[in-house]
Amino acid sequence: MLVRIFGYFVSEAAVSLRRSWKVSLVAIVTIAMSLFIGGTFLLLTANLSRVVEEWRDEARIVIYLTADDLATEGSRVLEQASEPFWVTAVKEVSAAEARSRFENMFPSVRELFKDWEEEPLPPSLEVTFDPEVVGGERVDEWLASLRSDPAVVMVDDDRDWLRQLEALIAILTGLGAVVGVVLLTAAVFTIASVIRLTAYLYRDEIEVMRLVGATELFIRGPFYVEGFIQGLLGGLLAVGGLYTGYLILNPRASTTFLGNVVVDRFLAPEVLLSLLLLGSLAGLFGAVLSLRREKLG
Amino acid sequence: MIRFLNVGKSFPGGRSALKDVSFNLERGEFAFLSGASGAGKTTLLKLIYREIEPSSGQILVNGRNVASIPSAKVPFLRRSIGVVFQDFRLIPRKTVLENVSYLPRILGMRQQERKRLAYNTLRRVGLAHRMSAFPAELSGGEQQRVTIARALINRPEILIADEPTGNLDPELSWETLRLFLEINSKGTTVLLATHEHGYVRALGGRTLVLDRGRLVKDEYLEGHVGDIDSDSAEDVEDPARQPTGRMA
Repeated sequence: MLVRIFGYFVSEAAVSLRRSWKVSLVAIVTIAMSLFIGGTFLLLTANLSRVVEEWRDEARIVIYLTADDLATEGSRVLEQASEPFWVTAVKEVSAAEARSRFENMFPSVRELFKDWEEEPLPPSLEVTFDPEVVGGERVDEWLASLRSDPAVVMVDDDRDWLRQLEALIAILTGLGAVVGVVLLTAAVFTIASVIRLTAYLYRDEIEVMRLVGATELFIRGPFYVEGFIQGLLGGLLAVGGLYTGYLILNPRASTTFLGNVVVDRFLAPEVLLSLLLLGSLAGLFGAVLSLRREKLG
Repeated sequence: MIRFLNVGKSFPGGRSALKDVSFNLERGEFAFLSGASGAGKTTLLKLIYREIEPSSGQILVNGRNVASIPSAKVPFLRRSIGVVFQDFRLIPRKTVLENVSYLPRILGMRQQERKRLAYNTLRRVGLAHRMSAFPAELSGGEQQRVTIARALINRPEILIADEPTGNLDPELSWETLRLFLEINSKGTTVLLATHEHGYVRALGGRTLVLDRGRLVKDEYLEGHVGDIDSDSAEDVEDPARQPTGRMA
């Protein structure tokens, strides 16, 4: 019996959507826009977070030494760098190897160092560490002591810019959440207005339903389902839009570093399902909100 | 079955539609509710199925005080009362069959069962052949019969009708009245509001007369064919004059 009644709700909602498709479309597009923008932020932050996680695993601390010191002072610094328990390995990179790496990485400017008599880049020690363990004041003290060492030119800690990226992700996430909530709220009110308008169009019919013995749930049910369907359709439109955008941008973006970072992978299925669910619930909430105080009919 | 105890109804603005109305309608009884337009007939009927609530007094339907029924339970009261509205109140976008089978749908009946029941009820009012039509495609008389079929489909204990012949020609009016008498003969309590005294005088039976909101008469009339006004005189040969229910 419940299935039959629910079937009635769905069929009535479908009739209503067909009957007032123009206003329904406004509601669907509004909710699609909000979910699309929210989804875009999710896509960016998810890709950035993934990249940050990958980079965190590869993060190093690079200790640049004054020229020729790798042979003399280098061993002392190497010993100091290897001391802490969180250090997993220290690799020596000679000035020649550093230049070779640079030339491989930037082949277009390799001619730059052609006529140089001395090595252009300093030797260095690349410290890899356990990212789960490293952190705290002791690390800062250790870094400070290295930085103050006269044999050390500079200490480059990858974690500094990883922290900046994490801050950027947090800002993007917050911004996405704020924009998403604002737009979703607007979408909920749009759906509420559309449902209220539809209920108004059906007011004579609703009065008849009530007079022949329909319960409030039976009268309101189709409107709730209509709101839910509008939200679901909005969610599907948003997910479709996001995937289309991803398909268009991904092949082009993969040729650039930034593009590769921000649209490398599409949203996970559970995130997509969450977007659909959010849209549907927003639609349902809009319908409930619109009829909350309404004495229909 | 229906009991009014000193019922009064005033509308905002102070207009008093009913004043101190008391009567008792037994189970299976047939009664006319008569009176001029504006006498309070529609108000009285609306009070029975609680479209409106009384300002004073008590209304008992099947022993239950209608005014004290919680809002959520009102639909269940209405399901036990078949109502024939003066203005039909059919759903324009639904077919005759869908209009008639609306209540079974609310009750969660299977589609096949619903259709069978609606078809049988429509056949009873002589409209089975129009079941796929929409209300706008029907004549006034046909729409009236759809309304009656909708009121009857759940086999209500009480049937109330508000000016069911108001929009019909004399021939159709008789046909409709005959149908109500037939329904009454099967045990349904019928309260029929009309301002057409001709039919009341012709058929006779219990008659409640309202005048400016007051119940001024509650009497049993003998049917008198000769008293029928000229509009309906030609149709008095109708067998409706010989009711079989507990009309008198």
